[in-house]
Amino acid sequence: MAQEQSAGSGQGFAGDSGVSRIRGRVFEWLTLGATVFGLVMVTALLAYVFNDAIRPFSADPLWHLVYATTVVLPALVLLATYYTSDEPAGEVAIASTGIPIVGLVAGSGLVVLFIELLTPADWFGLVVGLVCAAAVVRLHQLTRPNAAVERLFVIVLAPLLAITGIPAMNIQRTFSSPLTTTEIVTIDAATPSLLPSVGDVLRPLLTAVPGWVLLVAAVTLPVATLFGRQVAARRGDGRGVREVVVGSVGLVAVGSLVAPLFGLAPQHWVLLATTAVLPTGVYLEGVVRRRTGVLGVAFPIVLGAGLVLGTALTNAFGLAGPSSWIGWDFLTSPTSITPEDAGIYPPLVGSVLMLVVIITLVFPIGVGAAIYLEEYAPKTGARGRLVELIEINIGNLAGVPSVVYGLLGLGLFVKGIGLDSGIVIVGGLTVGLLILPIVIISAQEAVRAVPDSLRRASYGMGATKWQTTRNVVLPRALPGILTGTILALGRAIGETAPLLMIGAAASVRLAPNGFFDKFSAMPRQIFAWSSEFDPDFRFGVLAAGVVTLLLVLLLMNGTAILIRNRYQRSD
Amino acid sequence: MSNEPAKLQLTGGEQRRVVRERLYRHLLLLCASVTVVVTGSIIFALAFDAVQFFEMVDPVDFFTGTTWITDRGQFGVLPLVTGTLLVTVVAGLVAIPVGVLAAIYLSEYASARARSVLKPALEILAGIPTVVYGYLALIYLTPFLRTLGIDLGTFNVLSASVMVGVMIIPMVSSLSEDAMSAVPASLREGGFTLGATKFQVSTGIVVPAAISGIFASFILALSRAIGETMVVVMAMGLRPRMFDLSAPLSSLQESGQTMTSAMVQAVTSDVGAASPTYKSMFALGLTLFAITFAMNYLSNWIAERYREEYN
Repeated sequence: MAQEQSAGSGQGFAGDSGVSRIRGRVFEWLTLGATVFGLVMVTALLAYVFNDAIRPFSADPLWHLVYATTVVLPALVLLATYYTSDEPAGEVAIASTGIPIVGLVAGSGLVVLFIELLTPADWFGLVVGLVCAAAVVRLHQLTRPNAAVERLFVIVLAPLLAITGIPAMNIQRTFSSPLTTTEIVTIDAATPSLLPSVGDVLRPLLTAVPGWVLLVAAVTLPVATLFGRQVAARRGDGRGVREVVVGSVGLVAVGSLVAPLFGLAPQHWVLLATTAVLPTGVYLEGVVRRRTGVLGVAFPIVLGAGLVLGTALTNAFGLAGPSSWIGWDFLTSPTSITPEDAGIYPPLVGSVLMLVVIITLVFPIGVGAAIYLEEYAPKTGARGRLVELIEINIGNLAGVPSVVYGLLGLGLFVKGIGLDSGIVIVGGLTVGLLILPIVIISAQEAVRAVPDSLRRASYGMGATKWQTTRNVVLPRALPGILTGTILALGRAIGETAPLLMIGAAASVRLAPNGFFDKFSAMPRQIFAWSSEFDPDFRFGVLAAGVVTLLLVLLLMNGTAILIRNRYQRSD
Repeated sequence: MSNEPAKLQLTGGEQRRVVRERLYRHLLLLCASVTVVVTGSIIFALAFDAVQFFEMVDPVDFFTGTTWITDRGQFGVLPLVTGTLLVTVVAGLVAIPVGVLAAIYLSEYASARARSVLKPALEILAGIPTVVYGYLALIYLTPFLRTLGIDLGTFNVLSASVMVGVMIIPMVSSLSEDAMSAVPASLREGGFTLGATKFQVSTGIVVPAAISGIFASFILALSRAIGETMVVVMAMGLRPRMFDLSAPLSSLQESGQTMTSAMVQAVTSDVGAASPTYKSMFALGLTLFAITFAMNYLSNWIAERYREEYN
């Protein structure tokens, strides 16, 4: 803390008028120093980490020169141009580069899910089941419009039955008193399978259909419809939906025929194209139509062309790149006792599966709680006091140490419900509870930011509270809610202590294939590597793991910021 | 529901709406009450095993004992408490001055542009996973401090605590800055009118006016430091050590153990679920939960109770 000492000497020349100016200056610099102190320190330490993980200096100097001239220099020149002369183009440049990258990463997450967790037929069955359920609900709405309670049951049961059916159940459990461990009652019951799920009905019919066709139908089509609606709303015409759907399904389908020529499985192409190509296309359509910052589109093109050119040149001249610890092998292989073979694939899959559990658990509950607290909760009287207590309680829960949540997970899910320790669902539930207060607080802020005039207008037109909430408040607050949720998910992906407490494995050789499998997660694996004494582990593999985790976080936070910026601009 | 008016029913529709509205209200209330259930189940899950632990180990021995060697059945929590306090104090020594000064800069001195860059940048610090901070402390900070001539063990209290301090800077700075920004401009202008310099206004008017928020931020940040786990597990070692009053600095150079890392050690060691070591985890967890919950509540109370109301 050299700054503080210099402040002391600054105050040393106490005098009169000139002094206070010096004192003020010194103080200003001191405060600035304090602001950047943590930033500089962490940035410097992270620079070491990146250096150890990527080892840029192990590359041929000419390799650096080639990429500097083909990629870095043009990119910098373009950015400088945008910065000085065409600011909207700069935004477009960042978004049109960021969207495909984020899309590719999200798509890779999906690819991993389809490799480890489900088949295209499973997913197709799930989607068709949900569509059937929606149709049943709609039918109920038309035939019995007044039965609200009945409809709640239909809304809950129809999707459940469509997805799971009534499977055969085999319950065998002994309940014993917790203190004396004497048996109280033993339940041993088995029921036959009564009703197959929609997926089970469809599966035999689908064996002949190639996976990618199912994925086009069950992934590309719904996504394209969503984007199509957005485009149609933006343009204010009726053709948007059809154009986007036909265009994207056609593109993806044609691509799947071509993809094998480039060594990409058609199924994977469908997923990656749907998450990366479609959003980019929709974004670019908007840019071209608005005619602001169209020049920004040049940035990703120049970047991509530079990369291709650089790769071609380095290959042609045989220039060696850095022998980085991070690479395709690192991302796709399990850990190993030899540092050169160690990878992070199983924990990566574990983290992805855990995120799936967290999203399905936390998002609805968190948003529901936020809506209740902001829109419905009474503000006065005894019940108002109660609501105030709930709010204080949420604030306090956000401050409870993560290790205590780990104990909660251990006590509640492992010892209480009797799930196995260290399985995906326990990890997801535990970390989900941990981020629940954070999601609620950020969703509350987003809901609170919706201007009251909109609500009043909606009430003025005779809408009820729920109609107002659903049709006016929620759509308006959604970007803010998404931003907050993504940031909270970033927190979830880095949590380690709860995973230690619920017994997540240090390293697993095989990636988990379901929500009831043992798993490890990225931070858990990093912690396991940190107790290795081999310097190659300590400085190489460990650094690579940390960089992978940080890159995932960076992408998630970047996405959140992208969403927030778009939303703020449209206001 | 845009097609609502088209099939508007004048009779019967009202009843249906009331039922539906009530239904959704209760569903949403259910979501909100999940948080209360979580608090309740934390207390229950921890207390359940903690009670069993205190049947095996005398609470007096637990709270006053000065040795924590679980293998020999010695469960004196004081070494862990002093370890936790040591980390918290050192982290506070780093984070509090730096955080408050940063808050003053961001609220009083920074231009809008600098603020729009520095504020989110500081918040990024809070978003880095703790396991990464632990790794930075263990692999990079300790060797760096050694090159400065400080004699440190591989696992030591100093680098872990400094890292925890850096980690909680954003909590201090962002909450303090919120409190300082909420001080009305008229107060500052009044100060300037009386001939005060910017320095005098910042330290003599803004900081005292925002002091309740600033103190609340200290308590929150320190409660975070008390509950911090991964940094201390990775960089501070696992040897419980009573704080030595005769040589306070040497405690910083050696390894130590906090309550949180004792919990991690208990769960990662292969002890049976019925052993006192395993149960001790829950007693520690309950203590930790009580401390942090009380601190958060206190922080809330200070911010509310001593807030200077303007306008």
